[in-house]
Amino acid sequence: MGQDLLIELRGITKRFPGVLANDHVDLTIRRGEIHAVVGENGAGKSTLMRILYGLYQPDQGEIIVDGQRVVLDSPRKALGLGIGMVHQHFMLIPRFTVTENVILGSEPTGPWGRLRTQQAQAQVAALCAQYGFALDPAELVARLSVGEQQRVEIIKVLYRGVEILILDEPTAVLAPQEVDELFGNLRRLREQGKTILFISHRLNEVLAIADRITVLRHGRVAGTVPARGTSKAQLAEMMVGRPVLLELPHPDVKPGEVRLEADGLSSSAGAGRTVRAVSLTVRGGEIYGIAGVEGNGQTELVEALVGLRPITGGTLRIDGRDITHSSTREIRLMGVAHIPEDRQRRGLVLPMAVWENLILGQHSRKEFVHDGLLNRPAIDRFANRRVREFDIRTPGIETPALALSGGNQQKVVLAREFSFAPKVLIAAQPTRGLDIGATEFVERELLEAKSQGMAVLLFSASLDEVLSLSDRIGVMYRGELVAEFRRGEVSPADLGLYMTGTQRAPQGTAG
Amino acid sequence: MKARLYLLEIATPLLAILFGAAVASLIILAIGKNPLDVYAVMVQFSLTRPDSIVSILFKTTPLIFAGLAVAVSFRAMLWNIGVEGQYYVGAVCAAYVGFAVRGLPALLHLPLCLLAAAAGGMAWAFVPIALKLRRGAHEVITTIMMNYIAAAIILYLISDVLRDPTQLGTPRVRTPLFAPSARVPSLGPFLGLLGVAVPEAGRLNWLLPVALATCVALAFVLGRTRFGYEVRAVAFSPDAAEAAGIGNDRVRFLMFMLSGALAGMVGLNDILGFFGYLDIDFPKGLGFLGISVALLAKNNPLGVIPAALLFAFLDRGAEGVQFFSQVPKEVIVILQALIILAIVVAYELLTRYIRGQRKREAESAPPLVPPTRRVSLDTAGVQEVPP
Amino acid sequence: MIASAIRVTMPILLAALGAVYSERGGVVNIALEGIMIVGTFFGALGDYFFAQRFPGLTQAMPDLAPLAGVVAAILAGVLIALIHALVTITFRVDQIISGVALNLLAVGVARFLNIQLFHVATQSPSVRGFDPIDLPLLRAVPALRPLATGVSPMIIVALILVFFTHWVLLRTRFGIRLRAVGENPLAADTLGINVYRMRYAGVILSGVLAGLAGAYLAIEQAHLYFEGMTQGRGFIALAAMIFGNWWPIGAMGASFLFGYFDALSLRVVRLPVPYEFITALPYIVSILVLAGFVRRAQPPAADGIPYVKEEE
Repeated sequence: MGQDLLIELRGITKRFPGVLANDHVDLTIRRGEIHAVVGENGAGKSTLMRILYGLYQPDQGEIIVDGQRVVLDSPRKALGLGIGMVHQHFMLIPRFTVTENVILGSEPTGPWGRLRTQQAQAQVAALCAQYGFALDPAELVARLSVGEQQRVEIIKVLYRGVEILILDEPTAVLAPQEVDELFGNLRRLREQGKTILFISHRLNEVLAIADRITVLRHGRVAGTVPARGTSKAQLAEMMVGRPVLLELPHPDVKPGEVRLEADGLSSSAGAGRTVRAVSLTVRGGEIYGIAGVEGNGQTELVEALVGLRPITGGTLRIDGRDITHSSTREIRLMGVAHIPEDRQRRGLVLPMAVWENLILGQHSRKEFVHDGLLNRPAIDRFANRRVREFDIRTPGIETPALALSGGNQQKVVLAREFSFAPKVLIAAQPTRGLDIGATEFVERELLEAKSQGMAVLLFSASLDEVLSLSDRIGVMYRGELVAEFRRGEVSPADLGLYMTGTQRAPQGTAG
Repeated sequence: MKARLYLLEIATPLLAILFGAAVASLIILAIGKNPLDVYAVMVQFSLTRPDSIVSILFKTTPLIFAGLAVAVSFRAMLWNIGVEGQYYVGAVCAAYVGFAVRGLPALLHLPLCLLAAAAGGMAWAFVPIALKLRRGAHEVITTIMMNYIAAAIILYLISDVLRDPTQLGTPRVRTPLFAPSARVPSLGPFLGLLGVAVPEAGRLNWLLPVALATCVALAFVLGRTRFGYEVRAVAFSPDAAEAAGIGNDRVRFLMFMLSGALAGMVGLNDILGFFGYLDIDFPKGLGFLGISVALLAKNNPLGVIPAALLFAFLDRGAEGVQFFSQVPKEVIVILQALIILAIVVAYELLTRYIRGQRKREAESAPPLVPPTRRVSLDTAGVQEVPP
Repeated sequence: MIASAIRVTMPILLAALGAVYSERGGVVNIALEGIMIVGTFFGALGDYFFAQRFPGLTQAMPDLAPLAGVVAAILAGVLIALIHALVTITFRVDQIISGVALNLLAVGVARFLNIQLFHVATQSPSVRGFDPIDLPLLRAVPALRPLATGVSPMIIVALILVFFTHWVLLRTRFGIRLRAVGENPLAADTLGINVYRMRYAGVILSGVLAGLAGAYLAIEQAHLYFEGMTQGRGFIALAAMIFGNWWPIGAMGASFLFGYFDALSLRVVRLPVPYEFITALPYIVSILVLAGFVRRAQPPAADGIPYVKEEE
């Protein structure tokens, strides 16, 4: 039994200013197993993995690999012991080839530092064959799909001879079909004797692939269970610490007028994926949710809707008015609010104060500006009110936004966008990166918006979020709207098929 | 806590200056002089003689305009390294209006010259900003290129087209003399009213109070107006500003044009306030000093005033040091460059420190607790759907 | 004409090569002009003083004096580059401000030392260049015939360096790591590459090459140092690098374009257009290049962005 234990973590504790990320964590990993570590955002999974990978040092506790106590003070050290990490956000260089990305940092060289490119390419090809990965070693990474890029990341660690692979939220960017492919690869790796550590918060997937599952909650281990015989409900309870929860109640609202109408909307200007002839309508008092794996044109569609991207075909109407070629400012003035998917880049000016961010986009209103001068007393009153109403945790309204936590930053964005009674709300990935409390807050606010008669267009990569919040659901695939359903008309599995383009239906009729 | 931060903000430039002085001391030692003596001479020469004080105040005016020009552009995250060239062009335009237009009363002529200077600076700044906004050309390189082109054109204009025909055959290469109505009146009489009885005070002119007023006006515009707010947004986060409906390009263009206009005014103190003509050897290098001033002032229009004073003081002190201590004034040039380097490093470190403090402050706010009265939704997507 | 253009191109070419190394690593080096300035000064200085101190040696091997100048220029260039690297990489100050400050420093230092050593502010005594060499093969090409005799060995070295740099960037471990650091420093960091060290290397190499460029200018072209002799070539070199799409061979081609106009201004004296306009040509061409070609240009993805190692 002793030889079975490949890695043992004992009493790992790690503190950051203001938060105890890992609290005396004990974890054992058996040789040749797929071990999943689950928990919510902020439960401490990432921190633990980074400690294992050598990026962080624990404040207390010890790490034992293969019976020996080790100190992992750098990724190189970890690699030397056979531990490799496949990051959630790919660490790839698009301009380099697959081979160059794989060998970087461990290049085979001849005299004078000359690269042995041929040799490297052959080695990479051999690895791909051995583990059944379909990759062309000479292809530029920029040309690969997301799933293929992930395979490059995995080959990267395999090339360095790792025995233990740590995968950090690997399915976050994959469509259901690609997830199946990944799992097939992982099983094959296990057959070849590798050990896999799989971090996720997606319980369905974890139950499908793992042998054993460890649940983290608030930095502590809530329990370690075998996958077989455990239910989602049990896992969820361990994750959150309370019994399984119900949905948020949906306000019963009769949909009103058509507020937003896109007809054959296309946007093919500039770089990035295109939007192809998207037609949809959203009425006041309803939430229209768009499901789809990230990267299928959602970002571009949002940008086109708010005037950040030129519309090259079709029309866009708000309250009947044609705004196809209007500027962002004009669209905003028409009562369209926008919660950007990248709040730190698009939603906030981080170095500016909370009050400045709270009026961003509304700063020309006569309430805030007299003859070109900012009316600070009025602005401050408004800002303080919003901070109170949205429970934004900040030392004051002069605090720069970058000092706030992710959840509070998103609250600033929400507080601002919900001001002045917008007619249409376009919410792009509004709960991305937020912990459970903040997520719940945001979702409640979206439902509140619906009950106030706003037309809400929600884009979310979380299928569950879309299913639970939306009155109507659309699916985007490769820039097109490939299907449309009413609430309850479709199962998650079927939606997954549409999301991967496996099935296509004629667009649902509006209304 | 706030007090501590405030102290640090003041201490930083002082420390940087000390650092520069320390390194310069080493150089002074290396050439066999005593740095303390040298500094004593510098201070004594600059601050105890009335003609020095006047000279310092005189030199401050162009430095303020140059510093403002650079600061305004840096505030918009634009790198106007072309202040040098812009002020050449502004000077030539003002000179032309100064000597070619005759018969106008001073009330009209002088403002016309100022306008010409500003227009010249703006025109010269137009090409780089247009190329940047339309073609993405890096304004650092284009503005520097414009500097060299300006130098060539001015050389040609002053020695050929605009050359004073009465001076042909002499070594003096300059434009004709300006009309008296184009000259900036001296501050002497006004200062006399205030009881200042220094004869040299007549050398100071009304451009100095104009420069000071401009600083205050710009501080007000950048800090209190909607436009100033938009500048901040565009500078700190162009993406967010764009999403908020702010016209990024419009804001950048206006700020760069403003920068060019201010740059055009840099030469006026000398040619309209003192010489009365534009000579081929007119004072140069003020554009680059403007960069130093702006950096020391942290791009703050009000901070430009003490920064400009400091560099004017160093300039004057260099002359004294060269004359009395036989230390070449280039040591002061080196000192200025060192101060800039030290300043920017120090400011960077300070900013990072403040950011860290602010983050700590915000993190100590109590963490978010989900309210108890409502049921919550599991982010893992686990839902018990009622049958 | 072409021969003269090639000669004049060399300083821009060398500086542009330096810029390629620096920017491929992700650091914008506006201080190239300043490095060239110290390169010209110390190049002349080294040459002159070596010949003064070791007259015997200089008699025996005349190439030693200019070589001393070259070495001095390179060392001075590396020193300035180190300051730039320290300020921008370790302290993460904006790369443009550091470059501008260093240019001012270089001018001040050159002038100061010139006064101290030669008692004149803006000019040094004349110095000897390298013994020119002959390339009889070039007689075959009519346009290049003037180059067949009396070519500076530095030109040969420069051309070799261009192709060497190309090989280094594409086919060596150093090259691939340098490029990686300029494209995605975070990725390189996770693979165990020391981002700071690579960036320092890139900047220091740019210091070597720009110093070399200055040395060529003073030792081989003008045979002395005078203030302002670089005339903004350090900045033109940056435009050449951009035009060359950050590849050495492209930069060489672009440098030649600028060198051509530069040479033009030296030759043409009597023309309907005022002389000053001809001298302004290289700068005008630079602006046109930047205006026309920047859209197509693809800098290294992380160029100009300071790298922050993830805090513990």
